[in-house]
Amino acid sequence: MTTSTQRQDEAPQRQHLIHRRTILGFILPFLIPFILFYVAPIVYAIYQSFLRIVRTGGQYGQATTTFAGFYQYAQVLTNHAFWASLGRVGLFGIVQVPCMLALSLLIALLLDSRLVKGKAFFRLTAFLPYAVPGLIAAIIWSFLYHPQLSPIVALLGNIGVHADFLSGKVVLWSIANISTWLWTGYNMIIIYSSLQSVPQELYEAAEMDGAGNIAIATRIKIPLVMPSIFLTVVFSIIGTLQLYNEPSLLAQIAPSVSSTYTPNMMAYSITTGGDYYQSAAMSVVIALTTFVLSLFFMRRTGGRQDQ
Amino acid sequence: MKNSIASRLIAAGAALALAATALTGCSSASSDNSEKASSCEPAKGKVTLQYWNWVPGMQEVVNLWNKQNPNIQVQIKNIANNSAQQIANAVKANKAPDLAQVGYDSLAEFRSQNYLQDVSSCSSTTAAKAKFTDWTWSQTSFNGEGVFAYPQDTGPMVMYYRADLFDKYKIAVPTTWDEFREAGKKLKAADPNLAITSFDPSNSWSYTGLLWQKGATMYQYKDNKWVVSLDSAQGRQVADYWQGLISDGTVRTDLKNGSTALMSAYSKSQLATLIGAAWSYTSLRDNVPDQSGKWRVAALPGWSAKASESGNWGGSTVAFIKGGKHPYEAAKFSEWLNTDPTALKILNDKGGLYPAAKAGTNLNAFKKGTKYYGGQNIFSVFKASADAVSPGWQWGPTQTTAYTSMNDAMTKAVSNGTPLSGALPSVQTAVVKAMKDQSIPVATSK
Repeated sequence: MTTSTQRQDEAPQRQHLIHRRTILGFILPFLIPFILFYVAPIVYAIYQSFLRIVRTGGQYGQATTTFAGFYQYAQVLTNHAFWASLGRVGLFGIVQVPCMLALSLLIALLLDSRLVKGKAFFRLTAFLPYAVPGLIAAIIWSFLYHPQLSPIVALLGNIGVHADFLSGKVVLWSIANISTWLWTGYNMIIIYSSLQSVPQELYEAAEMDGAGNIAIATRIKIPLVMPSIFLTVVFSIIGTLQLYNEPSLLAQIAPSVSSTYTPNMMAYSITTGGDYYQSAAMSVVIALTTFVLSLFFMRRTGGRQDQ
Repeated sequence: MKNSIASRLIAAGAALALAATALTGCSSASSDNSEKASSCEPAKGKVTLQYWNWVPGMQEVVNLWNKQNPNIQVQIKNIANNSAQQIANAVKANKAPDLAQVGYDSLAEFRSQNYLQDVSSCSSTTAAKAKFTDWTWSQTSFNGEGVFAYPQDTGPMVMYYRADLFDKYKIAVPTTWDEFREAGKKLKAADPNLAITSFDPSNSWSYTGLLWQKGATMYQYKDNKWVVSLDSAQGRQVADYWQGLISDGTVRTDLKNGSTALMSAYSKSQLATLIGAAWSYTSLRDNVPDQSGKWRVAALPGWSAKASESGNWGGSTVAFIKGGKHPYEAAKFSEWLNTDPTALKILNDKGGLYPAAKAGTNLNAFKKGTKYYGGQNIFSVFKASADAVSPGWQWGPTQTTAYTSMNDAMTKAVSNGTPLSGALPSVQTAVVKAMKDQSIPVATSK
């Protein structure tokens, strides 16, 4: 009698253990690479950002790496060039992100409406630029901007318009144009797929109440896909702060793009200068800025939704 | 939903920050920068050396060595892109090669980061010293101590010019910088689309050669401190000179060094000279083949009729990388590679290298004329320039930062139309800051 009750008690426990192991078995293939290649580098960068080399006995004496508190952060935060680069991407984000997302939303709404024929074709066409790797896109565009090699510049020249896509005042918007070209389709797909999940009955009800296409779009569709739009905003903020490929490629032909043009370019340039610790601190500051901005945006929009 | 994502993000961020603080508690990685010469004993048995470089044709030279030296086999790897970072990362990961191609201008930085190995305890270094030109050998030690590399090639600067254009417009080939400026005005007067040369404000590598010629030092190591003089009187003279040509409108500032646009300007006969190095001779020959016979080479214009100083742009060493276990064999191979006449001949033919070895200047190939340059013996011009390069030049431990800030500041000056010399103070400030950030001792005065 006693033995049988014991056995009965053990069974669920063993089952629970097996259950746990199964879960672990499913999670580990994700967890191990995630820790190795995602968490560990971040932790290592944060660790490095608190270090500094100290030398005794002159240049060729003893070099020691020591804990330096917030020394590197102080260097980063007092660097004018760093603030200038942040300001530059800030301006870029304020102008480019709303323009691009408005365009994405417009295309998504058009594709979702009953007005457009050949939806599959247009959906694919709008999405196609995203399939071009960012670097290749930047190379193609740098040829289209090049004062000597560009057919666009040549064409405009023929009708008497002197175009310089690479001058100091214009180049930021030339970069914005590349980003918009690359990412509009991607953001459009996110919004579009969210539109697809809106129940059809809502439209029918709206039509019964006499709503036209525009009213349906502004009163029903846009409010319902707001969460996806916020998501694309957060993605775009992150992308803007990490701007690197396009400007560093354009730097090859545009004299106004310096090595400290964007925060990421500056961090890279400090790395090539050999100061890994300061570069780590700068990377952490960039990451924190992105984090805080995304958080701020999520909080604000989250709050508005609750009302 | 949004709020819960947000709070999870905060939690994750906090956890990472905590982990970082925990890690920083136990930090004190010490490295001895006063690298004492490692012992230099020949290995017993067969040795395989790793040698990273980006010289075209190197495999052919190495095959020759491997055939003759079965006990010292050499394997090469091409590191044409981001070579400095590849080497740096390999040293950090303890996977560094025995030997690697390192530019003269990167040696001080590599030494400062502790990536190099001193092989001065190898007795063969004493004999090797006599085989290289003086200034190149002086670059391989620091503060007069150690042997960290063997010189490979150099880039004595010269002026390539379109003899046909100078003839056509009856303009004398300039021998001084003053004459060069005047010639620029005459060429422009004769043909408004013709610039005397290209001045790329983002090419501080060649600009450094021009500073070198003027004796405008950048870094000097004195009394255990670096004297940084990027904003010196001589430096300003060089900047003001080129500013003069920019104001005259006789130089093109929109053509990046090495760009398609630059070569296209040469092939359209929009540029009359190329201020280049010995190794530039292949780039004209290969990129503008239809101008064969029209180009000649002359000495780099001097600062006065009497001054014959030249400058150097580029050139590399074969450096001994930290962690190499076979310094004896590495030194032996490197000496052969960079002084043996057969090796030098292949490196010149295939790689376009102008050798740093004294024997290199006596190569048979150098006694003949070159067809592209109208049969002129261009190597005698290179040799005269190499002999006129002053030996005291020093590159600094933050050379990359110096180049980057010079590129940035001079490009900005040119695109804003402000004087080049006005860019120099910001370069000086940026470089001194980078040095202080890395605790490199800087003398406060200029």
